[in-house]
Amino acid sequence: MTLQTQLVLRALLAEPTAERYGLQLCAETGLPSGTIYPIVARLEQLGWVESSWEDPREHVAEGRPRRRYYRLTDAGAQQARDALARVHRSRKQPRFGPAVTWPEFSGRSW
Amino acid sequence: MSQPPSAAPPGPGGGDPVAGLLRVVAQARPGADAGLIRRAYEVAARWHQGQLRKSGEPYITHPLAVATIVAEVGADDQTLCAALLHDTLEGTSYTLAALRAEFGAEIAGLVAGAMDADTMTGQETAPAPAGPAGAAVVCGDARILVIKLADRLHNMRTLRHLPAAAQAQKSRQTLEILVPIAGRLHLDAIRSELENLAADTLNRHGPSTATASGRLLAAAAALLPAATRARWYEEWLGELSALPTRRARVSFAAQTLLGIGRLAVTLHRPGRSNQAYRQ
Repeated sequence: MTLQTQLVLRALLAEPTAERYGLQLCAETGLPSGTIYPIVARLEQLGWVESSWEDPREHVAEGRPRRRYYRLTDAGAQQARDALARVHRSRKQPRFGPAVTWPEFSGRSW
Repeated sequence: MSQPPSAAPPGPGGGDPVAGLLRVVAQARPGADAGLIRRAYEVAARWHQGQLRKSGEPYITHPLAVATIVAEVGADDQTLCAALLHDTLEGTSYTLAALRAEFGAEIAGLVAGAMDADTMTGQETAPAPAGPAGAAVVCGDARILVIKLADRLHNMRTLRHLPAAAQAQKSRQTLEILVPIAGRLHLDAIRSELENLAADTLNRHGPSTATASGRLLAAAAALLPAATRARWYEEWLGELSALPTRRARVSFAAQTLLGIGRLAVTLHRPGRSNQAYRQ
């Protein structure tokens, strides 16, 4: 799992039931939007995160287009905690311990 | 003037203008009173004679379309007649007393209620029709709301004839007030058409390909799988509109474009849902 994905999961777990839009995740993680969207798209595919459009009553009242909100699913919150715990454990092990990788997220961003 | 012009106008192309409506009515509700509905049409057509819609069409095309929409959801004879007559008390010199004398208290109450409901600003129910005409119609009669929803639906279908600012304002009001009402009444076809028409209009008038950032994001979305393009483009436009400066918007668009390859690869991988995290 890449460091960026860990940052996103930590941000989501800080308040697991809260809904966040993309720019909020950018602000909370310090990551650019080009990094955030592929990560949340992947987490959504995995079922860790779900997304939905903003309630019309909110964006209509403010006269702007609707936002897409992300939030952790119940199962996703647990899986995210477990995954971060595994990353944490593996860090305490020597470098030749089991490497924690997530092929879809490893490698450089482009 | 207290008397309507005497002759009903001929239908478009000389055919029977009510035929289409009566076909829909007969299909939705075989026992309908076609004679009563035709009479309501003729009275409305006489009073609206000479009036035009913004589109340039004869005004009567609007109540006829509204009645067709309420017919499609299986409305009763009274609601159909009230839909045909719904603008006669406001746009002509037809009076509530005359309407009541010709069509009875129930239809008159529905027409008056639909008129009063114009002033609703998000209340749960329409106000009670004023005066004894409303006695036969319960306050907040759902039939009044059905007429108002159909009225708005046809107006939204013909929204392009209004200036852009009015289009945006009507669309916001539709999403804010009418879509939730249609949802509560379980009029799903009306609800979704209203929502789509309003959302499409707001998207057209929002930030879009008119701006540099909008063009960048459109280019980025074009690289995604076709089925997912609209969702991401709309999501980004939503973010874009929240950014205060042009510089921030261009930066957001450029950053998003930088990640588009990775996003495209992710979205092109099908059938990976509920997959467990693997070490």
